[in-house]
Amino acid sequence: MYLKDNKTMRNSYNIIYDLIGIFLFTGIFYSCKHKKDEYHSVTDKIEAESKNYHGTSISSDAYIGHIKTIEITEGEQTFLIPERKSQIKSYACTECHTKSLEKMQSKGFKKAHWNISIDHANENTMNCITCHDGKNMDNLSSITRKSIDFNNSYNLCSQCHTKQFEDWKGGAHGKRIGGWAPPRASMTCVNCHNPHKPHKPHFESRWPARYNTQKLKERE
Amino acid sequence: MHPLRDCRGKPDLCGNTQNIKLRVIIKVYMRRLKVFRSLVKDSLETITHGSKKYHFWMAFLTFIMLVGMYCYSIQLDQGLSVTGMTDRVSWGLYISNFTFLVGVAAAAVMLVMPTYVLKDVDFKQAVLIGEGIAVAALFMCLAFVVADMGGPSVLWHMIPGIGVFNFPNSMLTWDVLVLNGYLFLNLSIPFYILFRHYQGKKSKKSVYIPGAMISVFWAVAIHLVTAFLYQGLQARPFWNNALLGPRFLASAFAAGPALIILVLAIIRTYTEFTIKDKTIKKIAMVVTIAAQINLIMLISELFKEFYAPTHHSESAYYLFFGLDGKSALLPWIWTSIFLNVLATVILTFHKLRNNFKILFFACIILFVAIWIEKGFGLIVPGFIPGPYGKIAEYLPTGIEIGVTLGIWAMGALIFTVLAKTAIKIETGKLRYKIESIK
Amino acid sequence: MSSNNKKWFSLDLNKKTDSCDCGKTSDGCKSSSNSYPHQSLHQISDADFDAAVDTEIANSYKKDGFEQVFDVKMDRRSAFKKLAASLAIGASAVSTSCSFIAGDESKEKSQIDWEEQFKGNYKLMSDEEKQATVDRLVRSYQLRTGKNVSMSSKNAEKDVLFGYAFNISKCQGYMDCVSACVEENNQDRNSQMEYIRIHEMKDGKGFNFNEADDNYYHEVPAEGHFYMGTQCFHCDNPPCVEVCPVSATWREDDGLVVIDYDWCVGCRYCMAACPYDGRRFNWSKPEVPEQEVNKNQHYLGNRMRKKGVMEKCTFCVQRSRAGKNPACVEACPTGARIFGNLLDPNSTIRWVLENKKVFRLKEDLGTEPKFWYFMD
Repeated sequence: MYLKDNKTMRNSYNIIYDLIGIFLFTGIFYSCKHKKDEYHSVTDKIEAESKNYHGTSISSDAYIGHIKTIEITEGEQTFLIPERKSQIKSYACTECHTKSLEKMQSKGFKKAHWNISIDHANENTMNCITCHDGKNMDNLSSITRKSIDFNNSYNLCSQCHTKQFEDWKGGAHGKRIGGWAPPRASMTCVNCHNPHKPHKPHFESRWPARYNTQKLKERE
Repeated sequence: MHPLRDCRGKPDLCGNTQNIKLRVIIKVYMRRLKVFRSLVKDSLETITHGSKKYHFWMAFLTFIMLVGMYCYSIQLDQGLSVTGMTDRVSWGLYISNFTFLVGVAAAAVMLVMPTYVLKDVDFKQAVLIGEGIAVAALFMCLAFVVADMGGPSVLWHMIPGIGVFNFPNSMLTWDVLVLNGYLFLNLSIPFYILFRHYQGKKSKKSVYIPGAMISVFWAVAIHLVTAFLYQGLQARPFWNNALLGPRFLASAFAAGPALIILVLAIIRTYTEFTIKDKTIKKIAMVVTIAAQINLIMLISELFKEFYAPTHHSESAYYLFFGLDGKSALLPWIWTSIFLNVLATVILTFHKLRNNFKILFFACIILFVAIWIEKGFGLIVPGFIPGPYGKIAEYLPTGIEIGVTLGIWAMGALIFTVLAKTAIKIETGKLRYKIESIK
Repeated sequence: MSSNNKKWFSLDLNKKTDSCDCGKTSDGCKSSSNSYPHQSLHQISDADFDAAVDTEIANSYKKDGFEQVFDVKMDRRSAFKKLAASLAIGASAVSTSCSFIAGDESKEKSQIDWEEQFKGNYKLMSDEEKQATVDRLVRSYQLRTGKNVSMSSKNAEKDVLFGYAFNISKCQGYMDCVSACVEENNQDRNSQMEYIRIHEMKDGKGFNFNEADDNYYHEVPAEGHFYMGTQCFHCDNPPCVEVCPVSATWREDDGLVVIDYDWCVGCRYCMAACPYDGRRFNWSKPEVPEQEVNKNQHYLGNRMRKKGVMEKCTFCVQRSRAGKNPACVEACPTGARIFGNLLDPNSTIRWVLENKKVFRLKEDLGTEPKFWYFMD
């Protein structure tokens, strides 16, 4: 019975093997993963797709609204920072200090700002007049005695902390206000760091916000 | 003569010849339907009647199934949190059993192939039993997958056409296709053969031989695809190696025929189905070779992991030696390796293999060893340590074990039902009698 | 009823005056009320009988109502759509109209539940369908709890590709980000689900994740340690998207990898495929205390999930698509987290990528995450 059907069966086997082979081949071919407009890496994609960047309709304006900001341009970056002078309780200094600093350094004058002590770098580098302009107390002054507005106090910090300044300009240092969409608004140095006592925040030690007891259970 | 009977050659009388063909076809199918109905009736009678032992067996299985169903209802109600799975080890007992059973199902082909491709008549008797085991194993696989899902009520999302089927990207979709296709093959071909034998006719080679051919390739495909499920994940270095697919095939072809031998032994004892010693000896040969290849692959894997251990060998360290004091899987894997080696050594010696009592013992321990190896020795360590090196161990809960046992009982029940009917038909006891139809 | 001549029953709706039931081919049916079938059988000749049978056979193959409905040609997709739609309509009709005791509200609720059960994949929906499902969900929440939520179905903006950068030098391990994320995204409180993990690592050992601790609870920053955080990195070549069998997770045009919670079947294959521990599964019903529920929701983001579905960080899609920063970026007190549009050459994230030494985790896996790490 087997002998008789052998030849016809072998032919039918061949056909079946051929079909299976073709099926597998086409299956493998069509399951090929490379699609047409897929990039090999994200950076390729970013480069290619930002060529025609037109900007988005989304804006962060709504989220910055409640903070008063001013626009600054440093180097290639232009962005908003919070306005400072309106936030300082005792500004403007000349409302109280009509006399210049040299005149105040005689005996008999009451010492003001007794609650401010400087704990910022060593005494070779830093004292009050490193940053404050003795002649015009409403402004600050740079190392070369150029006048710097209180709103642009970051220019003082940048004299020593150049690396952080570069990072801050780019956006890698400090906190952003509002959202990711333009216009960009960032906190300045003094919004986080107290220039008289920069250790707060530097940052302070505290306990974490959450403790996951479930994770503990699954690790036991 | 009734005019309706004699319409040939008189188109004006009967309308058209299509009419006749249609009526002939309807007649044939009506008859086939009658035979089918009688087959169903007779099989129901067969499976509800039997010896005391048979009834006890079925009652036992039903009881375990009910326990399983109760556990599953708890799982449906409260969610999968009642199992031992967590975000760290997200596949556990269910998927382990699924993986193992796909292998068992694939092994039915180990009987089909020699019978039809190599034309070895000795295997022919066992083919139907093997395919019955494959069907039972496949139903168990599908049940395990459904039990493991978080949302079984939305299973229809996976049906191509109605839902969304992410083919060919997702290996799970390939798995769905091949498993259901294999189930269809293993249901339809034996059904065809049995249906013909039930009517006392011979089954046509032109119908079942191509099916048998396809099922040989398909069986290899189902287990390779299941292996690829794991092999394709670059996130899990324990699985992401080239040997996983072949290892799956080797262990499947060892465990599956081992089960078939045990089942054939039971059938020989309890029914009148004749199975020659030659058949069992040949299947034992298949098991031996597959077990030996499996051992060689194991040695290869151990070498790769432990000769020059890298960060990727962490899972293997955890599995075989424990990590950071966590060593829950150690007893399992070492038992498995010991039993595996013992079984392979026993089977290698002709004298021991040909002694059936020893052969059955070897088959049992080999089956258990491979079950452990594929389950706790493969799925669970793939997740430990996690992607950031954290170790969270896995222990199945009572409900998981309950559902698992329930599904195994369901598989045993399905197989018993299929086997009893098939054996009765094959031994000539059950035949279609035209007079018995009203 | 039909006469004894008929050998089979047919719903012959097309029949008009072709033939008479009683078998007479002449005289119409005038005497039908008086004649009995067995009488008419005797009265007809053989030839007439043959002719009558012929016409009966011919008639029975005209399309009856059954065939008219079921013999229409249509392709599979529309057939299934129609079936599903009819199933939904039928079921909703049954469930809503068959209850006399239930009030209008619960009827509306069951109607919404049925429609939600049979809706399709969000990725394939048109904008109207997206809006419809959002409306249904909002209404369903209202019916269940009496409270209102606002849910958005905003699509991705053009020319936007979200990227994220993490400054390891700045992170002090405070976990304010984790807290904000949990509250913003309505994560399950029972299982303490957290998308973000902060790892505390010892100085001098590099990125040694094995010896890192991501479940510390002591004063931070601890001496001799540094901190870094992980979450879903929204890969550009996400392995989780590849393996989902039902395409319940996909990468949107603005780069976010999102999940349609109602389409997910809970197989957890994506969880096995993610190399970064980015995904979380709802092993039980997620519960959030009512007063802590964040009512500004997005369909793909922080709306309430059900048990048995996957969820993950979405870069706060409900916030980022409106121009805000994700909750973690907003909450970090040290400014260690940077988020923005990678396609905007003036964005801070672009500046970071171009000017700082950045790296990503597990680069060799080829997943192309859009989450970079850098140090001062």
